[in-house]
Amino acid sequence: MGQSAAKYAAGAALSGRDRGERGIDLAAHSRPRLRDAPAAWLLIIPVLLLFSVSVVYPLFETLRLSLFDIRGLAPPEYVGFGNYVQLFADPAFRNTISTTLIFTLATTAISVVIGWTLAMLCSFAPRQTLPFRLMVFAAFGVSETVSGFMWIGILRPDEAGLLNSVIGIFSPGFSYAWLGDETTALGALIVAATWSAVGLPMLLCFASVQAIPRSVLEAAYMDGAKPVSIMRHIMMPLSLPGVRVAIFINLLGALRAFDIIYILTGGGPVRATETIGYFMYRESMTQFKLGYGAAATVVLLIAVLVISIPAIAQRTAGAK
Amino acid sequence: MIGRSPRWAVYIMAVVGFIWIIPIIGIVVMSIRPMSETMLGWWRLDEVSFTLSAWKRVWGEYELGNAFWSTARLAGISTVLTMLMTPAAAYAFHFLKFRFRRLLLIIIINAFVLPQQVVIIPLFRLWRDLGMIDNIAAVVIPYVGMSFAWSIFLVKNFLEDFPKELIEASRIDGCGPISTFRHVVLPNALSPIFAVGILQFLWTWNALLLPMLYLRNDLPLPVVLASVSGSYDPNWDLKAVAAIITTSVPLVIFMIFQRQFAAGSQVNSGGKE
Repeated sequence: MGQSAAKYAAGAALSGRDRGERGIDLAAHSRPRLRDAPAAWLLIIPVLLLFSVSVVYPLFETLRLSLFDIRGLAPPEYVGFGNYVQLFADPAFRNTISTTLIFTLATTAISVVIGWTLAMLCSFAPRQTLPFRLMVFAAFGVSETVSGFMWIGILRPDEAGLLNSVIGIFSPGFSYAWLGDETTALGALIVAATWSAVGLPMLLCFASVQAIPRSVLEAAYMDGAKPVSIMRHIMMPLSLPGVRVAIFINLLGALRAFDIIYILTGGGPVRATETIGYFMYRESMTQFKLGYGAAATVVLLIAVLVISIPAIAQRTAGAK
Repeated sequence: MIGRSPRWAVYIMAVVGFIWIIPIIGIVVMSIRPMSETMLGWWRLDEVSFTLSAWKRVWGEYELGNAFWSTARLAGISTVLTMLMTPAAAYAFHFLKFRFRRLLLIIIINAFVLPQQVVIIPLFRLWRDLGMIDNIAAVVIPYVGMSFAWSIFLVKNFLEDFPKELIEASRIDGCGPISTFRHVVLPNALSPIFAVGILQFLWTWNALLLPMLYLRNDLPLPVVLASVSGSYDPNWDLKAVAAIITTSVPLVIFMIFQRQFAAGSQVNSGGKE
């Protein structure tokens, strides 16, 4: 699943940083009481153990393995940066990088723009649009495996595919393999991924607008502002924090995408829809080139870190 | 919200909303109509009848009962473990002093950006060497371990508003750090703990990648669905039922608690409608 942990949780977690009153809180903290230390360690030891096994160890081990040539059960052979050199010389991987960029940027941009627009529309009539908001939001709640399955139903190559038969109304007998053709497979994948990704930006931006004090909007209305200019000058600027968080989360989610690609195209046709997140799965888990896959993981990791630096800096500053 | 709400906004939103749920309507209709009618598309109205045969057959043909049970077990265990371990750690990080507190906290909460692809290869080798492939722990351990990045952050964030006087009063009354946690903090921090539980449940219920790689026999629903929908198995009605069953539990939970998502993601929002 497209790293749904981040998808679900980061939205809630991220924006917590603004909570304010840092200074006051810091001052209120009493002097260090290190006599609490034994109790504190007792409470966090289980967490540290599981965290080490499932995050710290894999992280360092991935970095280490990326320097070895490992094929199946054969003894690993140290190759230094050989895997990376091979990776960037591999046309399949270079193609993967551009696929990743297109998929990630397009999915994020389209879903945030649509989500933001819908949030603005809904803000004009929060009560009347509630059921429709829930409809769009429901797509976000459908698990990625299932939404992949639903989209197969729409993009199927025969006339039973919904898209083909809608086009068939205008040109009878139309059929086209949307997912089977190199030129359209990536676009189809982006559409499917966008479908479920719109919910979060919509939710975040809508919530930002709802947090605007009523009096501000009423004052603007009294002064004779038209709905469109209220939207342009009040609602859009004030929903920017929501947009920022949504961009960040959707970028990370799209960059690590796996489930939806696995279900819809399996990376094909001819590896046309392989992103880095999928490439590493294929190399390491189906071709058993573990070191090579690990090197691809490190590349993905670097991309994720670059995107996350602003958020990490903010959170780190907030951690007292 | 202000004055009268413009009608056109509602109309546009209604159209978008209905377009948006077409894929969902599609599988629901497919699951309750006989295959013979939906062969050329679930929306065709040449003849319309209603049947629950797919809902009955699917349990035998795809062993959905087993899959449902193993998904529930997997998600349940991971959720309970996260809900048990997170509050203790968040409390320790927020109210107690110990060496490396800040450093550990920074490391843990920033780990949320790590893609899960990072853990796949090392854990696969580790589980294989320990003979733990196909053991439920092979999936539960990384789920719980990876959840701390955001779960500790959420609970600790909540504790920032926790009245300090309560802690101090209990200290003066002679409570040690652990009994303060047990009797003062824990009973008053149930709402973020349940929020963490809901998120963890959704995440683990829907997970595909780790169970697919680390489990062999007791496969959870998403893995079963992925394997049948990838094959050239023509049973579209059965697959539709399997898809609905896979996503129904998380979707219901998701829709019930969607207000909490909005509330949790919004800072200082006065909760106005």
